[in-house]
Amino acid sequence: MKSGLPDFIKGDCSTVNIVVCIKQVPDAPSIRMDKERMTIIREGVESIINPLDAVALDAALALKEKLGGRVIALTMGPPQSEEALREALAAGADHAVLITDPRFAGADTLATSHTLARAISRLEPFPDLILCGKQSIDSDTGHVGPQIAEELDLPQVCGVTEIHPEENSLMVRQASDGFLNTLRVSLPALLTVSRDLTVPRYLPFGEIERAFEGRDILRQGLADLELDEREVGFDGSATTVLRLYRPPPKRRGELLSGTSQEIVEGLIRKLESLSIIDEEDAGN
Amino acid sequence: MKKTQETERTQGIWIFGDYRNYFQNRVTLQLIAKGKELAGKLGTEVTVLVLGHQVHQFAMEYSAHGADVVMVVEHPALKTYQVETYTRVVAGLVEAWRPHIFLAGATAFGREFFPRLAKRLKTGLSADCVSLEVDPEHGWLIQTTPAFGGELLADVITPEHRPQMATVHPGMFKERIHDKTAVSRIVYPEVQVEADDRVQLVRSKPEQAQKGNLQDAPVVVAGGRGLGTKENFGMLFELAACLGGEVGATRPAVMAGWAEEDRLLGQTGKSVKPRLLITVGTSGAVQYTTGIQAAETIIAINRDPNAPIFKMADLGLVGEGRTILTLLLEKLRRRI
Amino acid sequence: MKFRESLISAHHNYLIDRMLTPGFLLGKADAKDDFWLLADVLLPEERAPFLCGRFYDPEGRFLVHLRGDQWVENPGGCRLQGSGDGFQILYPSGEVLLAVRTEVFTNGYLTRIQGKLYDRSGLLRVEPSFDSARVLDEAWHPLASPVRASKNS
Repeated sequence: MKSGLPDFIKGDCSTVNIVVCIKQVPDAPSIRMDKERMTIIREGVESIINPLDAVALDAALALKEKLGGRVIALTMGPPQSEEALREALAAGADHAVLITDPRFAGADTLATSHTLARAISRLEPFPDLILCGKQSIDSDTGHVGPQIAEELDLPQVCGVTEIHPEENSLMVRQASDGFLNTLRVSLPALLTVSRDLTVPRYLPFGEIERAFEGRDILRQGLADLELDEREVGFDGSATTVLRLYRPPPKRRGELLSGTSQEIVEGLIRKLESLSIIDEEDAGN
Repeated sequence: MKKTQETERTQGIWIFGDYRNYFQNRVTLQLIAKGKELAGKLGTEVTVLVLGHQVHQFAMEYSAHGADVVMVVEHPALKTYQVETYTRVVAGLVEAWRPHIFLAGATAFGREFFPRLAKRLKTGLSADCVSLEVDPEHGWLIQTTPAFGGELLADVITPEHRPQMATVHPGMFKERIHDKTAVSRIVYPEVQVEADDRVQLVRSKPEQAQKGNLQDAPVVVAGGRGLGTKENFGMLFELAACLGGEVGATRPAVMAGWAEEDRLLGQTGKSVKPRLLITVGTSGAVQYTTGIQAAETIIAINRDPNAPIFKMADLGLVGEGRTILTLLLEKLRRRI
Repeated sequence: MKFRESLISAHHNYLIDRMLTPGFLLGKADAKDDFWLLADVLLPEERAPFLCGRFYDPEGRFLVHLRGDQWVENPGGCRLQGSGDGFQILYPSGEVLLAVRTEVFTNGYLTRIQGKLYDRSGLLRVEPSFDSARVLDEAWHPLASPVRASKNS
């Protein structure tokens, strides 16, 4: 059942071609590390679409709903990332592209953005808008969006909370360092979306059927994208991980049990020691 | 700057002067202090970059807090922070002066601007670092950056590309005190400034300090499904009021309608860094704990002594949430 | 890349030629018969700028020798007028010869100087520029420490 258009989409303009960059990320409880290559092991691990990329996808679908056009979901990752693209197709994306090649592995954001930017630049026509989640829950950097924008020489706005289409531009809202900004961005552009861009998730009727029709996911590797091996993956990265580790436990882990009275007394003493509450006067 | 024979010829530690919301936002001062420490080990100097219009006050503050050099680009087009415009200007300065290391605070602007700049310079960047060190033998900056919301840490280096760039989490380093006798060098590069008008700031207003801003609260009292009922959860509000804090909630508690979505803590909610966090009736699922793990002191209340939450608490109380809260509130009310 | 360079003090600076400087000197300090201007470095406990100089009018006639907030000589009959944030030197006609304003920051001070200053040949040496002044045809010398402390006149 389609819900009403979300409030954040207002205004009027012609059709849009939107690319949404999606990352498949490990579901947190299953983190395992490849100590030799200093990366997270992604194969065979429970995966989800990065939550903010899901928000970006929903925003793209809502824009397409309002304005007409196409949504292309794009992901770079190991072959299993195809699952994320199937989800995107099921939600309503028109096309899906899987950028995959063993040589893309171990890429930092410099190499990743190069690979993604190349894939996007080869789309016909070039998109009007590229949407990404502001950051991913695994690497947390938030770099790939701005770095794709830089490589493709596109204006960017990060952490967008509202999108209003205009004639050849978008009016967007952004919360940044204690300011609420309203900005006009000319198209084509790249936006990263914040969790505060609330979009209802909906599955248009009939799309579920289409998803299982085995719509093609376009697969592209190093050769298809005419990329230089030295500019992707480990070799194309400028940063190197020396070590990956769990932070040393810094919690004292003192445990109190006993009667409720005793426990609460202990808690109150702790609150006093932290100066959260004042110590009681001895006279009382 | 490409990886290079030119690696040897880079010099100096640069810091981007992020002065928005100064005096509250002190991350640049923290970076100057850390930069001086690292510069000492590398035998070099700290330069703070200040872009803007009528920025004299900030240039003086940075001198007072330890900058060896302040580099200023004054131009009306730089009055508001703008990513593309700043990227163009700063990239030109970096290419002319070739710093060895370039740091910025991980403010929202820093985290938008620095990746674009790093990409233009074709160099490496780590985000939101919690620690920095140098290896003087190689001239490497060792950047410690969190992953998985801080559950893991990565020590990262940029062995061959220059400058070595990093954004740094506010509050990780101690600033030097203001020294009014300080005198520094000030450099005014003659650089063309052209505003990039593809992004135009139409309006900017300060965010209302929301009534009850969870992220700024010194004390956060959070609850989960273990509390059982909405009434029990409601006790957290009174406790928060007694302690001068705010209320947070886990996703199950929000889904149960016990708290509004804007109180959600965790992976898909807010991350808080209060002095004290009390968490009641929460088992310790990682999706929740990533939002609270940065708290200075964590007190957990849960009736199951084996609940994972106790592993990340400074003080754990084994008992029924409702009972403990009721008794605690009684005692606190009597003190007022 | 071309650049200009000066010094900056944490406590007080003058704005000259769009640059900050703790103090500067134009011409030869204490010259007996030509234009000079000293904007002296302030001590940490001082909050008001200290200016000294010998000023002439557009015809090259000697007007006034200023030291700090007093005249040493004033054949031109100029007036010294205080304002909320500084002071002005006025010609007898009331026209402003030199305006000095100090902006107060939380932890420091910035002094802007505006005016048209001539030398004994009637040559313009200093003129208004943006919100302060610029020096024509010569380099000014930045000062890092007070000059007047070492003078005894």
